[in-house]
Amino acid sequence: MIKRLKHFASVVGCAAAVALALSATALHAQEIKIGALFPLSGGLALLGDESLRGVQLAVEERNAAGGINGQKIVIVKADAVDANQAVGEARRLTSGDSVAAIFGSYASGIAVAATQVTELAGVPYFELGAVADTVTGRGLKYVFRSNSTAKNFADRSIESLTQVVAPALKVDPKALKIAIIYEDGPYGTLVGGFQKDEAKRLGLNVVESQSYSAKTVDLSSLILRVKSAGADIVLHTAYQNDAVLFFRQATAASYKPRAIIGAGGGYSLNDTAQAVGAPMEGVFDVDFPQITMNEAGAQGLKEFTAAYQKNFNMLPRSGHSLVNYVGAKAFLEILARAKSTDKDKIRETVLAYRQPPGSSAAGWGFQFGENGQNQLATTNLMQWQHGKLVTVYPAAVATAKPILSN
Amino acid sequence: MSLLLQLLVNGLLLGGAYAIISIGLTLIFGVVRIVNFAHGEFLMIGMYVVWLFAQHMGLHPYAAAPLVALLLFCLGALMQRAIIQPLLSADGHIQIFATVGVSTALLNLALMLFGADIRKVDAVFGTEPLSLGSLTYVSGQLITFVAALLIATALHLFLKHTYTGRAFRALSQNRVAAALMGVNVNAMYVLAFGMGTGLVGLAAGLISVQYPAFPTVGSYFVLTAFVIVVLGGMGSLPGAVIGSLFIGLIDSFAGYFVGPDLKEVVYFLVFLGILSIRPTGLFGLGRGSE
Repeated sequence: MIKRLKHFASVVGCAAAVALALSATALHAQEIKIGALFPLSGGLALLGDESLRGVQLAVEERNAAGGINGQKIVIVKADAVDANQAVGEARRLTSGDSVAAIFGSYASGIAVAATQVTELAGVPYFELGAVADTVTGRGLKYVFRSNSTAKNFADRSIESLTQVVAPALKVDPKALKIAIIYEDGPYGTLVGGFQKDEAKRLGLNVVESQSYSAKTVDLSSLILRVKSAGADIVLHTAYQNDAVLFFRQATAASYKPRAIIGAGGGYSLNDTAQAVGAPMEGVFDVDFPQITMNEAGAQGLKEFTAAYQKNFNMLPRSGHSLVNYVGAKAFLEILARAKSTDKDKIRETVLAYRQPPGSSAAGWGFQFGENGQNQLATTNLMQWQHGKLVTVYPAAVATAKPILSN
Repeated sequence: MSLLLQLLVNGLLLGGAYAIISIGLTLIFGVVRIVNFAHGEFLMIGMYVVWLFAQHMGLHPYAAAPLVALLLFCLGALMQRAIIQPLLSADGHIQIFATVGVSTALLNLALMLFGADIRKVDAVFGTEPLSLGSLTYVSGQLITFVAALLIATALHLFLKHTYTGRAFRALSQNRVAAALMGVNVNAMYVLAFGMGTGLVGLAAGLISVQYPAFPTVGSYFVLTAFVIVVLGGMGSLPGAVIGSLFIGLIDSFAGYFVGPDLKEVVYFLVFLGILSIRPTGLFGLGRGSE
């Protein structure tokens, strides 16, 4: 009796397994899996999550409009807090989950590590937020990037100095003494290095250029150096804590340059402005486009903001969600146009994809170079005015005029 | 000349902030003979509590400092009683693993509770820039500096002239002999550990005026504090104070004359140089101690 029961149970078990497998394949035909690889825990979690939100919104919008050629898009999340974990998670996505493509990754170190794996596995990698130029500069065929790079940050900050700040101060840019200071991690070193090159190319007068550890608790010596060099303009590439420290100690040393131009990171965050207080007023900042820019030069910005608020019950915490959304949206469209998950077909479609500047919610257009880099992605110049970060340059997306005293 | 003077003042004031953090660390090491890797995270907790007091009750960090010290005293005593005490007779590296574990747990707890954002206390008193001739400084830095010296002196007197202080010193010289002389070892350890973390609570109150709280803030200060404690001679109170001022000065002068990116190289070189001449640190007890 017991034997028969066992036999019966195994038959039922087998049948159930077959049915499950069948239904899984049936489901599989109607959906397309994409990986989303971001730092979702650890120190980078805040902006990693903010970036992921952009991808989620783009996928949701695409799914509501019918997905990719009738297939529903499913996001497979991967948490990569550092380069090591990025490699492991990229392996899992490409082999275990067999995703059609991977979207990522906020931090450059993570992007560089993950793309090594995906390139070998032949899975396209769409970078939406990491800025290091090396991500697309290594000759990898299936790595594409929608966002602007460290070089854009550096060039825009120098351009802001020559085109916006110097004319407003009514001086020749070459007459201004410039200090370039930056944290000595990959991010600061890249931006600071490009700034030095560009300043040299234009024959600007750089009187001081210094890096420092972002984990320092004292910048007073650096400030004394910059102050004794008599710098009029400070170009500062920093994270959050060191930006706050710089302002606190500059105030203590009663040093006030004629203009400070920050580059991304800490300078764009409301928390930084709150922690710094009054000295933040009038400070410039070059960064990814933010939701406060002019709708006229950024089609669909209002819709993005509304969708974000509806989903997350708050305003975007930074511009990261916006640029990730814009990039993800474009790459999803590319996947649809490719009508295939074949990597070479996708590459061909990416390179053929063209959108004019101003056509996306970030104000960017799309045109990819042979290296997979979008050449129409830019950064904007913003300024803290009355406690708010407003866009002041370029004119197409500006919402306010730059304010400079004396 | 005024530049050199300014660098001197900056260095000493920075040293004051380091001193107030190092005193607690060296006390714990000197008495309990434990390298507390969670010291920085205790500082971080203290800074968050200071911020909570300021945010919800409008308490100035200086007013909150004694309360935070009391709270951290309890946390430290609890950690000694519940985690370190059962491991006292185990290998030294087991105790190190335990404190590193506590450090990681606290760090991630803070990330979970508060996120990675920075939290700055809005205080007016203690943040005013002041000037004396061409010298500039911030009032809070001076207050921290003076407080560090006062606390170190008070602790020194306590160790010299009270029964508990004598017991602490006896324990640091020889745990077994102290127990034979009737010192209640476990109770003294709990007390010493609590005092060490309580001191870092005071430090949190004092430096919160200048520095915002965030989950990894402890690691910013504590690596330097470890260097200072080893440099001064592990367990030596005057060593910790002198070491702090010394490191502060190197930081300031090397930052200006060598470069801000190389100042750590300079002070680690000096550190290695001193250790190769005096392996037990500036004020170390020498090879005879436990």
